[in-house]
Amino acid sequence: MLKFTKITLSALALITTSLGAANAAVTVLGWPGGSEETALRAVAEAYNAQSGVANTDKVELLFYSRDGFYDKLQADMAAGSSAFDINLLATYSIGRYASYMEPVDLGPDAAKVFGESVLKTMQFDGKQYGVPTDLSLHFMYYRKDLVDALLADPAAKAKYAEISEKYLGKRLEPKAPDSWTWDDWAATALYFAKSVNPESPVRYGTVLQMKNLLFNIMVWQSVARANGGDWMDASGNITIDSPAYRTALELYKKLYDAGASPKDSLSYEYAETNAAFGSGQVATALQWNAAASELTDPAKSPAVAENVGIVAPPAGSAVRADHIHGLGLGINKNAKNKAGAAKFLQWLATEDAALLYARSGGSPALLPDVAAKIAKERPDLVTLGQYAGAYGYVMTGATSANAFPVYELQAKEFTGYWSGQETLDEALANTKAGMEKLLKP
Amino acid sequence: MVNLDHKGWRIFASPLVGFLLLFLGFPILIDLVYSLSRVSFTNLRSPEIVGFGNYGEVLGDGQFWRASWFSLRFGVITAILECVLGLGLAVFLSPLIEKRSWLMAPLMLPLMVAPAMIGLMYRLVLHEFVGPVPYYLYLWFGDSPSFLNAENAFWTLVVVETLQWTPFALLLFYTAYRAIPNDVREASAIDGASARQILTAIELPLMRPTLIFTFFIRFIDGFRVFDNVYTLTGSGPGGSTTSLPIYIYEAFFKQGAIGKAIAASVILFLASFVGLYALTWLSRRGKGAAS
Repeated sequence: MLKFTKITLSALALITTSLGAANAAVTVLGWPGGSEETALRAVAEAYNAQSGVANTDKVELLFYSRDGFYDKLQADMAAGSSAFDINLLATYSIGRYASYMEPVDLGPDAAKVFGESVLKTMQFDGKQYGVPTDLSLHFMYYRKDLVDALLADPAAKAKYAEISEKYLGKRLEPKAPDSWTWDDWAATALYFAKSVNPESPVRYGTVLQMKNLLFNIMVWQSVARANGGDWMDASGNITIDSPAYRTALELYKKLYDAGASPKDSLSYEYAETNAAFGSGQVATALQWNAAASELTDPAKSPAVAENVGIVAPPAGSAVRADHIHGLGLGINKNAKNKAGAAKFLQWLATEDAALLYARSGGSPALLPDVAAKIAKERPDLVTLGQYAGAYGYVMTGATSANAFPVYELQAKEFTGYWSGQETLDEALANTKAGMEKLLKP
Repeated sequence: MVNLDHKGWRIFASPLVGFLLLFLGFPILIDLVYSLSRVSFTNLRSPEIVGFGNYGEVLGDGQFWRASWFSLRFGVITAILECVLGLGLAVFLSPLIEKRSWLMAPLMLPLMVAPAMIGLMYRLVLHEFVGPVPYYLYLWFGDSPSFLNAENAFWTLVVVETLQWTPFALLLFYTAYRAIPNDVREASAIDGASARQILTAIELPLMRPTLIFTFFIRFIDGFRVFDNVYTLTGSGPGGSTTSLPIYIYEAFFKQGAIGKAIAASVILFLASFVGLYALTWLSRRGKGAAS
């Protein structure tokens, strides 16, 4: 009987201890299914293996499916869920979740790893809400073979000038892609469009992703930004009805109407754009940096991989601009183990952790001297950090609580204009009115 | 047959009534409160009652009426096409299916595929660079139309929906067609009726309740279409392929306008109720005419 009692008590003690540990562990809700998950698993394992990390602060990972991720997250957080201590957040949704989250102090060294502009992608109302783990921006992908041939052929140059004069109202000369303005890019896209130039070796000069989808507006809006566009001015006035936005919207419509982009571009997003460019029938594509691995892989894109060139998006009349947004990790307000969560995030913002995350497949934007330490293994991160530092921007108001609906509104109105269902004036007036309602203080 | 008194009915009906109150009544009550409130994800537990403002906002929203028109048009056109094709196939294939009943299985296959998958499948099938349809059109005619631009997306979606759901109409019509006693056909033939006369004067009137029922079921399904449209075109350029459920979904999740979304869903619920009432009324009338 004594033996039985001892065994029972020992078992109870073991169960209680393990339950206690489970409750006190730091649960991280991550972005599932991609390189982000692989990298997060690697850093969580490394963190847990450190001798200084108490059992009660070990990290456990939790993943939803990607479909409707942010909707599910929103429902969970609004319901006050404490099922996770740390949750994923994105630049454009920080404002939406900030009221359910705790600001976090990442320490002074975080700025030396990521730089201020990248840390800003995880800030709302001047407070830091997360560690920027993965950064997304855009590259201008182009076919080196086609552009080289254009630059080397006087007859082609003459045709190019003729086309640019007819469609853009100015006589342009072909340039190397890294010194393109948006007009140079547009002229190149028109030159390589069969509908404009029947002698073009490819069917289209570019592939525009114009589906009514907020992410497509992020891709396009660098054209407006490069011409000086912004969502609002310092006083909070909506500045969407500006020459910069008009120029950018008209440029896309001009290219689409001229047949420089596939006919179904109004239903294109990330995947369709990759398929179009990868087919070998398209000369240029403004696309997310994440597509680089697919488009430059001979196994995945045999028709173009050997000839893909990558530069930052072209310059406009004001600046050269590249939309950036980050995925990151921050602390749930209802977390059971806030102290443990903060410790993990502070560690994640250190140089060692950021480098491990990068080596494991993640895409953190690192300052040049930090990125240089993994330049051999991840040369793409050097470019990412370079472009983010030099051209990265976040529109004013694009981290607010209603940033998501603002993008949705712009997607609906601007695709309405591109598809010919609305005039430019109507689209801009509707967008302005909607944004005033959504972004009013 | 056992005769139940009032008390007996109450006892037998109470579990069902309890179930309905719990699982339908409570959410409907919450919905009604939210539809009269200014509510977002930040104040779910303390909504601010604002009266009928959300209903006013929905009814004054041009996009709501465009979505309603899309759903109505889509529901009517697809229901008509599915019923016409399903009826034609049921009559035409009836002798064949009667002899080889296994044929019904492959004909029903499209019904087994989730509508969202159908949408994704057609995104590939119609893609200019990887889809077989544009590939062969380019090969044979040197060009391919834009299937999913603002002008053509509606009709592309109609075709996709019709291809998936015609087998459903076929199944019901075939069953109703085979249920007509052969004696009736033989008697009509002896009286000198042609095949066309038998179909239009005998068979179709006898199938009328099934025809009406199938039309309304397909209309309701088409009216509330979401999955395949959302995965194929989203809400379309300028919101051109926004059905009412997509309108509600986007208001709720994308705009965070919970009160407005629920007000729209209450309006949709009332419209559906009217539709179902009409179905019941027409069905009864059809039965009366047939008898």
